[in-house]
Amino acid sequence: MLKNATPFIKSVTQVVPNGLKTTTKCAIISKKAKNLAPVNLFVPQINLGKSAVSSGPAVSFQVRLAHTDITVPDFSNYRRKETLNPNQKSAETLDARQSYTYLIAGAGALGATYSAKSLVTYLLSSMSASKDVLALAKIEIKLSEIPEGKSVTFKWRGKPLFIRHRTAEEIAAEQAVAPSTLRDPQHDNDRVKRPEWLVVLGVCTHLGCVPIANAGDFGGYYCPCHGSHYDASGRIRKGPAPLNLEIPEYEFPEEGLLIVG
Amino acid sequence: MSILSTLNNAIFKRTSTFALVVVGSVFFFERAFDVVADSIFDKINEGKLWKHIKHNYEK
Repeated sequence: MLKNATPFIKSVTQVVPNGLKTTTKCAIISKKAKNLAPVNLFVPQINLGKSAVSSGPAVSFQVRLAHTDITVPDFSNYRRKETLNPNQKSAETLDARQSYTYLIAGAGALGATYSAKSLVTYLLSSMSASKDVLALAKIEIKLSEIPEGKSVTFKWRGKPLFIRHRTAEEIAAEQAVAPSTLRDPQHDNDRVKRPEWLVVLGVCTHLGCVPIANAGDFGGYYCPCHGSHYDASGRIRKGPAPLNLEIPEYEFPEEGLLIVG
Repeated sequence: MSILSTLNNAIFKRTSTFALVVVGSVFFFERAFDVVADSIFDKINEGKLWKHIKHNYEK
């Protein structure tokens, strides 16, 4: 059938460059093809058994000739070893192929995760204060210079810092106060590291004035702005302030030395 | 082959285990990478860093 069709195809390739004028004469039927039914080549037909489609989107095709002299390039250098054997089932080499792909992807993910983690870490550490700034933000106080019963004011990070050398009577009085009677309940032991030394920020918790030392009804601090009375442990006892005086971070690294910050 | 198939079935097939293994191995990778990078830095800057000349200035 196909062999017999070649003269038709030939005639078409000759006719088309000359225009479509000679359509009626295009089919040159050789002797061998005499018993073929006449075919109208310009209405392509798809043979689907008994039915034939003569129009529609799928029918508009060109006649293409196979150019079998073009060799298919050999891609075996670029293909995976596992896929070279055409007789092997792909399911058998699945694990080898997949694990290779995922290993590469996993290594990439590892690097990406490490980079992301480092980036976030460096970004966050750049936001925090550096060590030289932190070193300047500390204050070192020689405790031997503060006599007993005195409250000394220092400037620390732009705020007044009260350091009070408490007497034994003051310590005993503050220890005896029951926390349940206080507005901001805190026992004296929770506010001092060593009972004889009270370290508080000299900022009234009401509106931020600086209280006066050794004044007020409770022998501690008295804020002149709105009349808040603090005791010798820096706790609010009377007046409008809601909270006890703030205690900064401090430590006694050696005897007679106090470092705040 | 069997190692690869165990690896594939146990870790790579499920995204959850894959992500878990990646995150877990980052800890070890980070440690190894940082140690290697620091040692390379120290080797290039041999004799210039404080820890290399510290004994000249401290008792």
